[in-house]
Amino acid sequence: MQDQPTDESLVPDETRALVGTLVAEPVRAEITAKESQRYAQAVGDLDPVYFDIDAARAAGHPTLVAPPTFVTHAVVVGLPLDHIRTDGLFTGAMPMRLRVQRTMFGGEEWDFDAPVYVGDTITAETRLASIDEKAGSKGPFVRIVRETTFTNQHGDVVARSRQIGIAR
Amino acid sequence: MSPTQVHLEDVAVGAVLPRVVRNASRVQLFLYSAATWNPHRIHYDVDYARFEGHEDVLVHGPLQGAWLTQYVTSWAGPRARLLSVQWQNRASAFPERDLHFDGRVTAVDGDVVTLEITEADPDGRVLMPATATVRLPRRG
Repeated sequence: MQDQPTDESLVPDETRALVGTLVAEPVRAEITAKESQRYAQAVGDLDPVYFDIDAARAAGHPTLVAPPTFVTHAVVVGLPLDHIRTDGLFTGAMPMRLRVQRTMFGGEEWDFDAPVYVGDTITAETRLASIDEKAGSKGPFVRIVRETTFTNQHGDVVARSRQIGIAR
Repeated sequence: MSPTQVHLEDVAVGAVLPRVVRNASRVQLFLYSAATWNPHRIHYDVDYARFEGHEDVLVHGPLQGAWLTQYVTSWAGPRARLLSVQWQNRASAFPERDLHFDGRVTAVDGDVVTLEITEADPDGRVLMPATATVRLPRRG
């Protein structure tokens, strides 16, 4: 169905049809000590298991640990400057079409299945998990959930994140 | 300084975690943008942030999420394992203002402890409510 003014839905059918599909190509990245530690310093989390291999081993780990949510930043793919929009975001950040003005960060849900270690190679796959139109006190809005699965070089799922976007 | 370890035997439903106060500088927000390769202008360009209707540059949602996970891991200690965390973005957080992190134990199931956590402004307005589960080691 085309985008008719009589169609009240904020979610075009073509977008609804994307539920369950990958929203981008899978991304693979190596977890490096330098990037992990820069991230930990920027957060202000100086947990010794991120910086001191003896502390990591004393806590039961084989090597340095990466901060829990760092894995989602480790797989960010950089783009050239001409792929950056006026608001600073990379183009193509939101490939699905919605009849909305703006999208906000609504929250996030994480499951940590196993620690992520420096030296791991992580593959991230992100799917559109759900897209639901809801009635809010300020009018209708759309709740978009993207689910990313992070898998290490041994084939073990180490973490899953569900990123919740609110669009209206 | 060796980090302290919380054991399963130390906690019970209703136990209150110590408050942590954070106050992000603009430099910290810039470094976090750089370390996460995030070029979004609302986090470092105050003119642009105001153009979008915000009163100042915004603290990144995932940075607040990282603080929430740190709130749990630093309380629980090195031999605990964080299993899950969920947070909701309810209101904006800004730099150079105190942010209060508070938590309490809401359930203990086997060796897994559930925490309810809030990030709030000094007036008690909750900016980010959260829950987390963490597996604690047994003593001895």
